[in-house]
Amino acid sequence: MVQDFQISERVKLSWSDTAELVGSSSVDEVGLRERVASLATRSIKRDSKLQALNMIVSMCDLTTLEGQDTDGKVSQMVAKAIRPDPNDSSVPSVAAVCVYPGLVETAKKETSGSEVLVASVSSYFPSGQAPLESKIHDTKYAISNGADEIDIVINRKAFLEGDYRRVFDEISALKEVCGEVHLKTILEVGELGTFDNIRKASMIAMSAGSDFIKTSTGKISAGASREACCIMAKAALDYRKLTGAIIGIKVAGGIKDSKDAIRYLVLIKEEIGEEWLDSTYFRFGASSLLNDVLRQIKKLKTGAYQDSYYFPRG
Amino acid sequence: MIEKWSYSDSVESREIVSLEDKYGHFIDGSFVSPKSKKYFDSISPSTEELLSQVSFGGEADVDNAVSSAREGFKTWQKVKPVERSKYLFKIARLIQERSREFAVLESMDGGKPIKESRDVDLPQVSANFFYFAGWADKLDISWGTDKLKPYGVAGQIIPWNFPLLMLAWKVAPALATGNSVVLKPAETTPLTALLFAEICAEAGLPDGVFNLVTGNGETGAFIVNHEDIDKIAFTGSTGVGKQIQSTLAGTGKGLTLELGGKAANIVYEDASIDQAVEGVVNGIFFNQGHVCCAGSRLLIQESIENEFIEKLERRMQQLRVGNPLDKNTDIGAINSKQQLNKITELVESGINDGGSIYQTECELPGNGFWFKPTLFTNVQPAYRIAREEIFGPVLTTITFRTPEEAVEIANNTEYGLSAGIWSEKGSKVLWTADNLDAGVIWSNTFNKFDPSSPFGGYKESGFGREGGRHGLLSYLKEEK
Amino acid sequence: MSEVRKTYKMFVGNSFVRSESGRTYSLEQKNEVIELPQASKKDVRDAVSSAKKGYSSWSSLTPYNRAQILYRLSEMVEGRKASYVQILKESGISTSTAKKDIDKAIEVLIWYSGITDKWEQLSGNLNPVAGSYFNISHQEPLGVSFIFPRDNLSLNSLLLSILPPLSVGCSVISLSREAGILAIMLAEDVHNSDMPSGALNILTGDYEVILGDVSKHVEIKGIGVNSVFNNDDYTIIQSNGSESVKRVFKFNESMNLLSLTPYLETKTVWHPKGK
Repeated sequence: MVQDFQISERVKLSWSDTAELVGSSSVDEVGLRERVASLATRSIKRDSKLQALNMIVSMCDLTTLEGQDTDGKVSQMVAKAIRPDPNDSSVPSVAAVCVYPGLVETAKKETSGSEVLVASVSSYFPSGQAPLESKIHDTKYAISNGADEIDIVINRKAFLEGDYRRVFDEISALKEVCGEVHLKTILEVGELGTFDNIRKASMIAMSAGSDFIKTSTGKISAGASREACCIMAKAALDYRKLTGAIIGIKVAGGIKDSKDAIRYLVLIKEEIGEEWLDSTYFRFGASSLLNDVLRQIKKLKTGAYQDSYYFPRG
Repeated sequence: MIEKWSYSDSVESREIVSLEDKYGHFIDGSFVSPKSKKYFDSISPSTEELLSQVSFGGEADVDNAVSSAREGFKTWQKVKPVERSKYLFKIARLIQERSREFAVLESMDGGKPIKESRDVDLPQVSANFFYFAGWADKLDISWGTDKLKPYGVAGQIIPWNFPLLMLAWKVAPALATGNSVVLKPAETTPLTALLFAEICAEAGLPDGVFNLVTGNGETGAFIVNHEDIDKIAFTGSTGVGKQIQSTLAGTGKGLTLELGGKAANIVYEDASIDQAVEGVVNGIFFNQGHVCCAGSRLLIQESIENEFIEKLERRMQQLRVGNPLDKNTDIGAINSKQQLNKITELVESGINDGGSIYQTECELPGNGFWFKPTLFTNVQPAYRIAREEIFGPVLTTITFRTPEEAVEIANNTEYGLSAGIWSEKGSKVLWTADNLDAGVIWSNTFNKFDPSSPFGGYKESGFGREGGRHGLLSYLKEEK
Repeated sequence: MSEVRKTYKMFVGNSFVRSESGRTYSLEQKNEVIELPQASKKDVRDAVSSAKKGYSSWSSLTPYNRAQILYRLSEMVEGRKASYVQILKESGISTSTAKKDIDKAIEVLIWYSGITDKWEQLSGNLNPVAGSYFNISHQEPLGVSFIFPRDNLSLNSLLLSILPPLSVGCSVISLSREAGILAIMLAEDVHNSDMPSGALNILTGDYEVILGDVSKHVEIKGIGVNSVFNNDDYTIIQSNGSESVKRVFKFNESMNLLSLTPYLETKTVWHPKGK
């Protein structure tokens, strides 16, 4: 089917190889749910909890994607991204900030000198209901303003109509535009309907050249779930076996609190391995999650809970 | 193995359990000293520490228990069926209220992980009492006749792998159908049964309805041989089961047997592979493989063998072996030195026969009885590890090419307790199930139990069913 | 000490409500006259709306869970036995008859709670069709059911009317007139139980007011009528019900498997067996 590739090469597959992967994608729903529920019984305490919380901070893409975003709002968020807890310098910076294309320039200016990356959504986020040319234009604009990472959405219209080839071709085209810029492809798992479909969409996105696959836009009520993350993770593991490439996973939308976030880390660790436990390969799309994590870190270190006004707005 | 992120200990406290130094038998509604005047040790298999001393049941003790049960039966017969229901509902409730205590004790006495005793054993125990409580007042509609009557005094002998759950599977239906009971728990795991006896007293169960005699195989034999017992229910090894069946020949006593197994877990190439791996792992490593219905033979379609085995080994490596009271432990202690020796011996035979062995990398604690999760590949059906019940965390792999071959290999055993089928094709699952000689068949899942779902074997895995409407027939007979 | 209260309300969607019409009817007790709400057409529509949600929640619980809730209800009724007896006495029933009635009612509750996780094993079955098919018949509850109990002063009788649909997973709306206070007392225990909102709804009053609406309401899937119901009115229900092919039947207040069958729809599924 596919030749062995060297691990350092980022590999795309041909459409015909991809079609085979898509065709054989099957997930048993009941079994998958049970596995995810069983992993949630892990008890993560003390040192392992603190380590997890710090990892989570470093994996956050602090996000604002609102019609009412302004330069001022983004500046505040970037400040928080760089130094989440002003009273505790041992708390790491987050991985990235995530904004609409029009705010990339500001974000880039504010993050300059720090390690924090700037990710921009594009491709007519969140619906993706537009012609490919528009999506390419959208993406080029974000990159020209300095975006380090691009988060696109798959064409759900095409996917649900069964036109997987179109889904694949669009992602390939957008990756071409991105070049070295990292491409995260949002599957919008809440709209895909079945677990089989999540696996199929994952295979298409990875084969077409995505550097990351991402669960959700955060704009519909059904966001990320540990089930979706597990399916995507297993797909990424299989893809790595096939091609040698490690594709990253990002979960976004509805990760309520630290407890939930830690469960995602447990899932990744046990289902696909510790290599993915790094911001290079795993991200949380977050806004309110970060403050809960900071509270939990403080509590572990001092023994007391803090109120939210101790932590700056972001 | 160096982990980037390792889990800190999360050990469940033992404080909730308070053990006596010595326990008597529970006869005629209270604890009594053994007539045998002898006691024996009950130790924790994960630490080898002494937990308590329990009474040895000699012939006189068994006789005492049976007499009490005979009187208890007469009392129980006079209790209205709906009142029998209420006692059992009460017992279910009391167990539920103390389930954490029971779970911790079960893990201490038997070695199984607290995660399992808490999440599987205990909920099933109270569910069983609850379910059978509701049959007591409707036996007349259960099989369309009011001519079904209890046997009388039931002698029940249970194993050490699910001590309290096996007790529930025996005692709940026996009492619901109007029988009285003399129960002997396994030699290595008497403690949760003794706590259960306390619950019976607390629930106000009439004296003599439930009796408990602790002891070993000799005690069991006294029960089986006792003239005034009307019915024997035994769960344990096929060897002992055959002896019991032979002993009871010509006596007119009722008998049900739930014996060993060597279940085939059949994975077809069109299975959802990741979930099948999960199911196969659960099938053999749940409860350290101390499960009569364990999926101990992996029958894998040759076309997917390599992919499957690689995923299986990777998954096995995630199993955490260690302190049963640590909430993150997946695999606990082997129940006894004796069982550990048996497993070790069989695994050695597998290596000598020519099988390829894979064992996970893990650190085993210094004392206690432990065995690493083990996988054999390149196994021929004639090897001992492919035929004999190991009763440990050891999986044996055999390949097949067609569905007929899978069924043939699966049935090629004197056992017939359970089987697993993994395929996304419904018609193939049903065809396969039709052709397997097994009493319980799981498709695209494994090790699922429910009080309403009958459980029991074909062939030398025993006869009679426990659970469900059919399970009632183990404790009722038609009067002429 | 009596627990009789002057304000009695109907029980809809886990809340105690007056009739939206404000109308009431009177019941003469030994020592006083009690006013209870007279259910109106709008009350029926509200009850159906709650019962629909109640059906969704109640039927999606596991049978084990439903059984536990009903068993717990029996314990609660038993705990308030003296109050139930008192209510019956205030209505003119002798102490010994009242006690017997409540004792029997508790046994009936226990029987039905215990059938909840078992009836399917008795009514469903595999069918031995001639062919290589797995063929299974199993039953599903109808949905929202409206019950007209016999309305005598007996908790036992009331329970025999409403427990069959409840234990198979239907939601229930029940109307009582003479037994109004008794029904509301039961509603208080239900309110304190874990039964989901809308699973059981209790209306009070004369049935003539709402007969037409109930028998025509498309979202009421089944109507169970007591065995001594007025024949002409029963004919009206049947005739109106025919407009939506509603399931309409008389029940016998017997504690057996057959009491459940009117509230069930049978579904038969075929699946080939082959490689």
